[in-house]
Amino acid sequence: MNRGAKVPAPHRAGAAITAFRRAAGPYLLLAAPILFLLTVVVYPLVYAVDLSLQYYRVGGFAGLHNYTLAFQDSLLGESLRATLVYAGLAMAVEIALGLALAVAVQRTIRSVAGRTLVYLLFVVPMVTPPVAAGVIFRLMYIPQYGILNFLFHDLGYRGNPILWMSSPKMAMFSVLSVDVWQWMPFVFLVLFAGLQAVPPDVTEAAQVDGAGGWVRFRAIEIPYLKPLLLLVLVFRFTDTLRVFDHVQVLTMGGPGAATEFLSLYLYKIAFKFSNLNYAAALAIYVVIIVSIVFSLTSRYLTEETT
Amino acid sequence: MTRSHSRTVRKTGTAESGRARRATRVTRRALLAGAAGIAATALGTGARRVFGVPALAAAKPAQLNIGVVSGGEILGLKAIAPMWNKETGVRLNLIEYPYASLYEKMTTAFQANASTFDIVMLDDPWMPKFGSEAWLAPLDAAPFNLKRDPDIFPVVYDLGSWPPPSGPVPPGEGSKDRHIYAITLVGNVEIFMYRRDLVPQMPQTWDQVLAAAKRLNNGSKQFYGFTMRGAKGNPVISEWSPILRAYGGNIFDDHWNVVLKSAQTLSALKFFTGPLKAVSEPGADVTDAADRSRLMATGHAALGETWPAEASDSVENPKVNSVMGKVAYAVVPAGPAGKHTPLMGNWLLGIPKAAKEKDWAYRFITWATSAKVQKPYAAAGGIPFRQSILTDAGLNKRYPFFKAMADSLAAPPFWRPRTPEWSAVETILGTHVNAALAGTETAEVAVDKAAGEITQHMKEAGYIK
Repeated sequence: MNRGAKVPAPHRAGAAITAFRRAAGPYLLLAAPILFLLTVVVYPLVYAVDLSLQYYRVGGFAGLHNYTLAFQDSLLGESLRATLVYAGLAMAVEIALGLALAVAVQRTIRSVAGRTLVYLLFVVPMVTPPVAAGVIFRLMYIPQYGILNFLFHDLGYRGNPILWMSSPKMAMFSVLSVDVWQWMPFVFLVLFAGLQAVPPDVTEAAQVDGAGGWVRFRAIEIPYLKPLLLLVLVFRFTDTLRVFDHVQVLTMGGPGAATEFLSLYLYKIAFKFSNLNYAAALAIYVVIIVSIVFSLTSRYLTEETT
Repeated sequence: MTRSHSRTVRKTGTAESGRARRATRVTRRALLAGAAGIAATALGTGARRVFGVPALAAAKPAQLNIGVVSGGEILGLKAIAPMWNKETGVRLNLIEYPYASLYEKMTTAFQANASTFDIVMLDDPWMPKFGSEAWLAPLDAAPFNLKRDPDIFPVVYDLGSWPPPSGPVPPGEGSKDRHIYAITLVGNVEIFMYRRDLVPQMPQTWDQVLAAAKRLNNGSKQFYGFTMRGAKGNPVISEWSPILRAYGGNIFDDHWNVVLKSAQTLSALKFFTGPLKAVSEPGADVTDAADRSRLMATGHAALGETWPAEASDSVENPKVNSVMGKVAYAVVPAGPAGKHTPLMGNWLLGIPKAAKEKDWAYRFITWATSAKVQKPYAAAGGIPFRQSILTDAGLNKRYPFFKAMADSLAAPPFWRPRTPEWSAVETILGTHVNAALAGTETAEVAVDKAAGEITQHMKEAGYIK
């Protein structure tokens, strides 16, 4: 094009539109997800914070009153204790079992069909709605007609019927068993995927050097799985803080308050006591704890991978 | 419109006589329509006489929106809805919600003064909230002027009245004029069931219940003397409350002071968690209504409390009952003082103040609760509340628990404390009574803890100082 020639008006307009598109395009593309996040994440969070800063019943600005209330609430303490016991046991059992199964399948099942079958079997509990899982286990544990007590009877047990949900320890075992059944497969699948990333030549070399199964597991596989183990730990920990459905179906938090975990306690405060302000403050505490755990983990994982 | 047509005819004159004639025909048609309107009004008046309510000058709406709970409670309502549609030409639009959502939807609509519902179906523990917030239109005031019907138990009217005519009244509510705001549709009242082939004499007291249950209990054969609904929260409180009241115990006095720490309460709880539990199914502390009904219907229990809906759905359902015709019903047994104390749990119909079609809503309520309609309502599986229906010999053959319901409503039954705080109180008490039943707290500790926590809650709510 001749430099001295004038650019026709329609061309100038077209160039301006293109320039605008280039400049505004990324922002327009971002607008949709930002709007979505503002609606479903930021607004409820701001609303919850606003609720937590108001007095229950009388309304008005309460400052940190609802937050300090938590430190005087002995029932919250009991609920926290139960939640931590549940979370600790669930994480320990699920990670130990999931890891053991992942290694076992990795070393023993080589065929694609066999592995596919294992995947399918392990996916079923994960896609079962937690309420349905609760109902299934309740039907198994109910002492009067549950299948477990019948099995024990067939195996020769003649004592009193086992009360699977009636003592604090048994109730904890019962709700824990549902969690393990449903979420151990998640641990298995993540760790099994991690084991695929272990270079075969490293393990083969170790085998040639005479390393046994335990040594290979401890010295080669575990270091490779370390970031994934941490990830699984964090996911399971945050999940156990939110556990609700199957516990509500199985024990309703009982006997007494033995399995009244944090989410059930929160539900009780919000919907049975109608104290949305205190419940909002407790929910904000949970969000803070989960955020801290996530940020520490992600920082650690970033350092590990760089 | 007719007048404007006539004016048009006058203006156009003779030159347009053809068109004028057509217009005249229109006018005649309009006159005919007017006559038909008068006839319809006359018929309408007649129809109102059938409804048994005063004439109301409301135009006929296309439909009435009624917010209802989904589940067995609306079985009868669903059966009579086509009858109403046919008789009136006004479609009954049942908007169903699960229990928890219904309350939330209704309170949200009331707070916004929205005319979402013309009629609402409410559980009786919600009455204190709805009454104190004045969300419902009074039925015994103008323009409805509902009059008490001797065929309806007085307690039914009392249950839908606010402020409550007996028992403690929430702070600030006592000075309000008392009105009836809702009328029962589902006459739920807790009754007692027992195997008539095994317990020939109807148990009159809890001691007789225990004696019969001890005699029949045989755990090794999975046959239990008593079936106990003891799951945490509402289930165990519904089960234990009649025993608490029969023993002379109570939660509040008439001034909301917590009177749970009493010898009567302790006796009632020790009886419940001791000898009665010993003759009940294992795991009574996790047993809910469905488990209890199943045990009775499948011939694994001899005695127990029940709600009419459970009896209708399960115990008297030939598809699941293996002991058909062997279960009899009675009013819940009396305690040491000789007083029968069944618990009420009615579902009521009310008209929101913001409803658009109040007149037609009132017509529907009086129609649905009339003796004429309650019969097909009950025959279809609805839980009735009228004395004449509950004592109807034909209906009692199909639903043998109706007579026990009539006796229970006449007892009279007691209602849950009339306060919006009931949900919290029930949760606290339901946790500790369940703990006592499971054996993780002694009766003394359970009563002590429950009384302390309820007192604290009622103080925070401003009921006591």
